[in-house]
Amino acid sequence: MNHFDEMACLLYLEGQLDPPRARELAAHSNECAACRTLLHALERESSVLAAALTEDNEPMPARLLNTRGWGVPSWVWTLAFGAFAAGAYWLWTDNVDPWLQQLSNAGFGGTDLLSMVLFSGAFWKGWSSMIDAMQITFFFILGIAAIGLLRRWLRRSAAIAVVMSALALLLALPQPAGAAETRRGRSVLVPATETVHNDLIVTGPIVRIDGTVEGDLIAFTRDLTVTGHVTGDIIAFAGQMRMDGIVDGNLRVAANQVTIEGTVGKNVTVLANTLDLTSKGQVGGGLIALGADADLDGHIHRDLLGIIGTTDLHGAIGGQLWLRGGSLDVTSTAEIGGPAIFLGAQQPTVASGAKLASPIRVEITQEARRFRRRSAERLAIRQIFSYVAALLLGVLLVTVLPGFFRATLREAGRIGLPIGVGALALLAGIVLLILGVLLLFVGVGAGIAGVLGYAPILYVAQVFVGAWLGNKVLGEASNNTSAVVGRIALGLLILHLAGLIPVLGPLVWLAVALWGTGAILLGFYRMSRAESAAVSA
Amino acid sequence: MDAQRHPEGMNPAEQAGERERIARAQDGDAEAWGELYRQYAQAIFRFCRRVMPTREDAEDATMDIFVKVRQKLAQYDSSHLFSAWLYRVAANHCWDLLRRRKGRQDLETGEIENIPLEHPDPGQLEQLIERRTSQEVRRALDKLPARARMALVLRYYSDMSYDDIAATLGVRRAFVGVVLLRARHELRDVLTEKGATSAPRRAAGDTA
Repeated sequence: MNHFDEMACLLYLEGQLDPPRARELAAHSNECAACRTLLHALERESSVLAAALTEDNEPMPARLLNTRGWGVPSWVWTLAFGAFAAGAYWLWTDNVDPWLQQLSNAGFGGTDLLSMVLFSGAFWKGWSSMIDAMQITFFFILGIAAIGLLRRWLRRSAAIAVVMSALALLLALPQPAGAAETRRGRSVLVPATETVHNDLIVTGPIVRIDGTVEGDLIAFTRDLTVTGHVTGDIIAFAGQMRMDGIVDGNLRVAANQVTIEGTVGKNVTVLANTLDLTSKGQVGGGLIALGADADLDGHIHRDLLGIIGTTDLHGAIGGQLWLRGGSLDVTSTAEIGGPAIFLGAQQPTVASGAKLASPIRVEITQEARRFRRRSAERLAIRQIFSYVAALLLGVLLVTVLPGFFRATLREAGRIGLPIGVGALALLAGIVLLILGVLLLFVGVGAGIAGVLGYAPILYVAQVFVGAWLGNKVLGEASNNTSAVVGRIALGLLILHLAGLIPVLGPLVWLAVALWGTGAILLGFYRMSRAESAAVSA
Repeated sequence: MDAQRHPEGMNPAEQAGERERIARAQDGDAEAWGELYRQYAQAIFRFCRRVMPTREDAEDATMDIFVKVRQKLAQYDSSHLFSAWLYRVAANHCWDLLRRRKGRQDLETGEIENIPLEHPDPGQLEQLIERRTSQEVRRALDKLPARARMALVLRYYSDMSYDDIAATLGVRRAFVGVVLLRARHELRDVLTEKGATSAPRRAAGDTA
């Protein structure tokens, strides 16, 4: 009789052999010592394995032993959230708030901050309206979702180490800046007799530098006056700044009003409402200016590059002039060493005595056109913002509510039905609103609440239409999340680009709103149906 | 086999007590859930400790498994053993993690599966086994590829049925015996230092 192989022996021991064969093996092993030994050895091996695996060789970790052991994750979650809140609070009180205060000391308070940062309010006036509440809310939700994802990581010591080192880095960051000398106070004065042998950082409402700074001067202030000597650069954020002294390096300043009466060794970059380069003022390099008004009496040794509303040029420019703005007035004392280009709404006035290397090349930009161009820029920024926000929303939907996403996308594919439902819903919404507000049927508050409930649906609508569009272009997505997201990205891009077309755009968005809304409502309906079916089953 | 790991060793009164506890936990009774957790946490932790590469991973996996179990508790069908169901959830969770982490090369041995196994000398095999301590066996297990280790733990720690092992590892049922036998061979190779080519799998040594 043949021996049984090891496989058969193992299956026999495990009770996995079919009965006839098992009987055969049992009979054989009674007679065959070799097979008996093998069976015995395998059985020993099984028990050694089981013993090794089940041996209580190490205690339970403390965090699992917790009497409410299973509740640990929520405890960690709470802790992580608490730490996040504490961190945010610390970041705000210790870092953001003082900066904001310094900035408001410096004259750009509160709501002006954003517009001040963005070109002194001369451009982009509608910035604050650009980021509407919806998108801000959405970013908040995204942040919370990010914490939710991170909480898994927070449990790992590696992640904690990363967080700790990041915190340490954050705390260490001010240190290099701390190597410079820092002064703060109601009014900071460096007297003429004093020499600061270091970079100097000053904050306070009034700053006056009469002495010497052997290094850079960095100032946050309302009034900054420099009559002394700075051997490095001056970097300043100020309400108004007056530079009567000497700067060997560059001058970079954002301020409401800037007056330069002294000498700047290198270049000047100015972001200001009004810029005054007096007749004593000297700029060794070039001048780059963004502002509303500029009065240039002094000497700029190299080029002038500016986007300035009104420019009066009395002084000399060594290099070329490139200016974009409302008007340019070149008086008889002015000199321009290089080619000059002016792009503006009005023909520049050039006095006969002015010494120009070549006539000013002028390009008149129509006021209306300029306005349109600006609003197009705004629109572009707005579109990019809302595109990114919508895409992130799509990613969130796909990952958090995949079932709802699929159901809604399926509904969107029917085209006619969701558009009809969306139109009905819109009409119903409008009728309800009118009823609510005009007849005080349910009260103004309820009407507004209804609209507020409707608005997010309108916003989400684009994601589904975008996903449908992406599917049409690239073909149906598999279950792969990144493939789905890619299709959403493409679809949304098409929608947002189509939305830019003058007359067609609003129509596109109307269709998107109706279509997507209908799909979402139908998706909700299907999901609730499926759920109730699951419950009753 | 202790009662905690395999409650079929419980007496009927204990079994009835557990059934009632599970039913209460399914109805959302936190107290009953806490009892279930205390009853099984150690067994599941040890399971994770055996299959996951580090202690940290095992702790995380244990917590995640119990979170999952609590969410899925309503789906538990009392006609099956609770411990078997629990191990199945645990095994799926850990196997998912391992698979995601390692990529495929380590898990599916492919060609190697077709190389016939050497028939062991029964006497030598017996000697080899008898000379080893539990700790040595555990160390050797750590050096096995993920699938071999998983299969051995599922069978000889969790006492899982061939059907459940097949479902967890995603292999045909008829193939489970082959996987187990091959895993034993690999283990023997490591124990006789023949498998010295495979690098140690755990950075942190067994604390035993």
